[in-house]
Amino acid sequence: MFVIGIALFFGTILIALVGPVIFTITMERVGPQYAPPGGRYFLGLNDLGQDYISLLIRGLQSSLYVGFLAGIIATTLGTLIGIYGGFKGGWVDDFLNMVTNLFIVIPSFVILILISSSFKEGRSLTLIGIIIGMTAWTWSARSVRAQSSALKSKDHIALAKMNGANTLKVLLVHILPYLFSYVFMVFILQVASGILSEAAISMIGLGPLDTVSLGTILNQAKNTGALGDGVWWAFIPASVIITVIVFALYLINTSMEGVFNPRLRK
Amino acid sequence: MKMKGLSQIKYLLVSALLLGLISCQAKKETETGEVGFPRSKTLYLAGSQWGDPNTFNPLAESWQAAWPVGDRFNLMYEPLITYNSLDGKFEPLLGTLISKGNDSIVVDINPEAKWSDGNPVTSADVKFVFELGRRFKGAATAYAVEFISGINVANVDVNGAKVERLSFMVNKKGRNNPLVILDLLQAIRIVPAHVFEKLLADNNNDFGAVQKLKIDANPVVSGPYNLENYSNEKIVIKRRDDYWGNKSLYAGKMPVPQFIIHPIFKSNDHFAIALQQGGLDASQTFIPRIWMKKKDKVNTWFESSPYFTSGALPLLLINTTKAPLNDKNFRRAMAAAINYADIKELAVSGYSPDMQPGLIMAVGLEGKYFNAEDAKAVGVSYNPENAKKILADAGYKSVFKSDGSLDYMTDKAGNRVPTLSITSPAGWSDWEAMVRLAVKGMRDAGIDIREGFVDAGLYWPALPSGNFDLIMHKPAASVTPSLPWSRFEAIMSSRNWAPVGGDNKMNENQGRYNQPGTKGYNPAVDSLLKLIPTLSDEGKLVQAYRELNKIFMQDQPALPLCYLPEQFYEYSSKNWENWPNEKAPYAPPLLPWVGASTKILWNLKLAK
Amino acid sequence: MLKKYPTLRYILQRAGWYFLTFIVAVAINFLLPRLGNNNPVDIIMGKAGSGLSTEDARQKEEKYLQEFGLVKVSNGAIVRDAEGKPIKASKIEQFGNYLKMCSVGDLGTSFQKYPKKVIDVIKEALPWTIALQLPTILFGWIIGNILGALAAYRRGVFDKIFFPGALLLSSFPFFVFGMLLVYYFSVVIPWFPSMGGYANDLVPSFSFAFFQSVGYHYVLPFFSIFLILAGGQAIGMRSMGIYELGTDYIKYAKWLGLKENKVLAYLFRNAMLPQLTGLALSLGNMVGGALITEMIFSYPGLGMAILTAIQNNDYPMIQGCTLLITICVLIANFTVDIMIGFFDPRVKAGLQIGKGK
Repeated sequence: MFVIGIALFFGTILIALVGPVIFTITMERVGPQYAPPGGRYFLGLNDLGQDYISLLIRGLQSSLYVGFLAGIIATTLGTLIGIYGGFKGGWVDDFLNMVTNLFIVIPSFVILILISSSFKEGRSLTLIGIIIGMTAWTWSARSVRAQSSALKSKDHIALAKMNGANTLKVLLVHILPYLFSYVFMVFILQVASGILSEAAISMIGLGPLDTVSLGTILNQAKNTGALGDGVWWAFIPASVIITVIVFALYLINTSMEGVFNPRLRK
Repeated sequence: MKMKGLSQIKYLLVSALLLGLISCQAKKETETGEVGFPRSKTLYLAGSQWGDPNTFNPLAESWQAAWPVGDRFNLMYEPLITYNSLDGKFEPLLGTLISKGNDSIVVDINPEAKWSDGNPVTSADVKFVFELGRRFKGAATAYAVEFISGINVANVDVNGAKVERLSFMVNKKGRNNPLVILDLLQAIRIVPAHVFEKLLADNNNDFGAVQKLKIDANPVVSGPYNLENYSNEKIVIKRRDDYWGNKSLYAGKMPVPQFIIHPIFKSNDHFAIALQQGGLDASQTFIPRIWMKKKDKVNTWFESSPYFTSGALPLLLINTTKAPLNDKNFRRAMAAAINYADIKELAVSGYSPDMQPGLIMAVGLEGKYFNAEDAKAVGVSYNPENAKKILADAGYKSVFKSDGSLDYMTDKAGNRVPTLSITSPAGWSDWEAMVRLAVKGMRDAGIDIREGFVDAGLYWPALPSGNFDLIMHKPAASVTPSLPWSRFEAIMSSRNWAPVGGDNKMNENQGRYNQPGTKGYNPAVDSLLKLIPTLSDEGKLVQAYRELNKIFMQDQPALPLCYLPEQFYEYSSKNWENWPNEKAPYAPPLLPWVGASTKILWNLKLAK
Repeated sequence: MLKKYPTLRYILQRAGWYFLTFIVAVAINFLLPRLGNNNPVDIIMGKAGSGLSTEDARQKEEKYLQEFGLVKVSNGAIVRDAEGKPIKASKIEQFGNYLKMCSVGDLGTSFQKYPKKVIDVIKEALPWTIALQLPTILFGWIIGNILGALAAYRRGVFDKIFFPGALLLSSFPFFVFGMLLVYYFSVVIPWFPSMGGYANDLVPSFSFAFFQSVGYHYVLPFFSIFLILAGGQAIGMRSMGIYELGTDYIKYAKWLGLKENKVLAYLFRNAMLPQLTGLALSLGNMVGGALITEMIFSYPGLGMAILTAIQNNDYPMIQGCTLLITICVLIANFTVDIMIGFFDPRVKAGLQIGKGK
């Protein structure tokens, strides 16, 4: 299962990286509007006559970029806050909890549109990635905090403290290594969630205004009436790619659960 | 198991909640007593109401009031006359146009016109709405007093009947513009003075308070339909069988559909799907590739391209105060770089006839003012080689990267030209496509420009403030008697010229073209703009427009992109037939509640 | 004194923090829409100002500015500076105004839907959103958990097919699924309507036909969310179930010869805890969560209202909706914390023994 997951995921990364070499990417108009799949352009053309293969590869690159960016930010923030709060407990924990709740309460797209309207360049992939990351860390903080607070009562921690290690040292040397596998799984899920969020935000129409992403491809398909006209190549390939990436990540995540928790493997 | 019981309880709770929530929305049942409006008596039309209906107050701002009270809709409240955008003639409604001249415009009130409460429509009603500006500064029709200095009422005898004759006096000290008065006569709807005077009195003469009233409960109207029911999903109006116009204008016939329902869709593709499935009878929306729906009996005015009649000109307005856009050669080069054929085919699905240079459309009612020789001699058409030549001659150099794409551009002095951007609202799919294609064409010719899609919240304020390089705009978007003058006025008039910056706002000529008081100021533009509305001689008009258009083509303060219809007119013959089209042009191609197209309602037949 | 009632103390402490969070959230809610320097009156004027003379336009603009409390007003007239321009009201003044209005339940007038009140917009749209979200979340949770537990318990062939299937289902983004359902079951095979809350020729009423129409229109949106949610829940429950199955106390119970039903009951009670947390949090997010589904199906809910409000810089609407979301989420989280306190014996024990570090 792990193998399948990794294979799928790396397969998509491969397409994103190597694809431009195999299929020359062009954003030029190469044919009539919504030409059906055929010959060299086996994924059809879009409403501006552009080749879907090129669009999808570019879109894949963008979506992966946003997913990773958001995932890294979210995981880092969530882990740091979660570990510290869980370990310290008491009012520090309560305070960090409050901060976490504050971020849960604000929907990410509100922040997205408000911040992007202050930037003259409008919404770019990086901005979207940062904002998704900064609003999605909350559940990782929660999970990591639960783990960390369970760990703090373990013996070797008490020993370390008795030896006079300060909090930072304890956290880095004694707790983090235990949680590493957990944090890695959190990271995988955050990347998946980042890709889904970006697609959702683009679907609403709040997506990047200067690049192609899988979400903007779907948004265009919907806005130009592809659904009603039966132009399936406008939205089905992009949907499949998103689902496959997320599915692959979930597979990796579940199989890792099995690795670190042998009971699940049976 | 404990869980089963729990889940059963949850199931019951949920169903009860669901039922309760939905029944909270219960309103009165339909009048027919049957459940639902009978399909054979109902017309479903959409595309004029976007967003929740908030007010049906005819004195509210026209963009706030819901269908059918906003804009120029005349199913509930009616204007004095209507303008037929096909043949350019004025058709009578509450009044009849008697004469138009540079001193006054004369309209007779139809003596048979009545309100739904039985009172006749009189000059008091007309004066009330046209002179609101003298009493209240914030009224939506307040600007009418700049054009109309007064309304004189005379009682005359026409064919034995006593008729009130209104003379709208041209405000010579104000704008001195009889053309705009004609616009106002077909746009401003007459409201019952006796109703609103009473409301004003009840509210201590606070106009703002009266403007906030919804006026949605059995309003007093003069038109053929009245408000029946509305919600955030649809608006329903019902035929008034005692409408005065049935006897006076239609020889006793009634409109055929008893109900007209306007569903409010939340996204574009729903209109297309509904039309195809027969849930919608006509629509006013941009539906791409409309020819693919012919098999579902969806039709347009023309059977082949351009499918629609032209009425509006979307264009890129240029900020002429900013370098290098202040160089008219640069602007002409931009015009030569845009592939208009691609825009026609890809952005608007072929809904435009071939575009010609200049601000006057070469087709339709304006076509008589279009001069083909001037267009060839002075105007700029798509020609990428010519674009590059113009740029080179004016001293601009474009540097391309190794893969063929544009890197940057330098001007005469060798300084880098900053990347220009086209401001356009995100989410309007036909505009987006136009902008993308325009950018592509210009970059291929070496002009450093990119798309600047922004949210509506940033787009609307950018226009009057001038904070843009280029901006998408569609001025004078309805076909009114003052075209094509109003389009020139909206792009080139130096009236109220104010520079970009601070709180300065301009509501016309937002590109700040032709700054008065400078060396480059061309007085011919403003004098022509002042002159044209006063001309009645056809020959002089042709000459004046020719000069104005020549100046436009030479200076190119804006880049027209294609010809679009004033309204998209697509209809389905699944349930109703006998819609007007090019073979049966008995009414203009507009949905049957605007202007001169209301008569469609009397001519529809049920499909077999 | 409170030390004698640790549970009460726990609740009060939690409530205190939540209240503090609420206040800060309200302040943030207020500030956020004003982050950009966009003036919503500009948007209104952009639409309404064309063709007006400068003087008329200026007067109209001032009228709106005054109406929306964006300029300083004293005795009903605008306070002007030396050049005669109106002085903009400071953020603090606006905030004070806002709090005053909220305390009487007036959330302001929507800029974009002027003159409609925010509270009216919310009142109309909220029932539809709840009607769509509540059953889907609950059913998804129930069915998902049952199936997941079953898979955890049975394993074998059922699990091998079920597990990847559920995982795949939960990988679909909501809107993709929605679009696919519309495409297949509304366009290709026209079984179900593709849009709206109920048929266009009906008016909401207590009639059977109306409810029938609502149900008919409910199917596709319901399934587009429900199946994905169920898939996700099943996966989670299966993992928890498998984990619990391997624990010592279950093994012990089995060896003791307890009936299978009883063992299962204990198992589920423990495995459910984190799932319950998830459920409460989902319910808290209910209000803004169905945004895209509502968009695809033209469902008349709150999600669309929020979206258009944001796109049009409609401050009062944005504030009103985020206030609503804030309240829902905070209540949900608070409830979860309390529930865990009551139902999780480990926490209870921790409280009673005293603050253990």
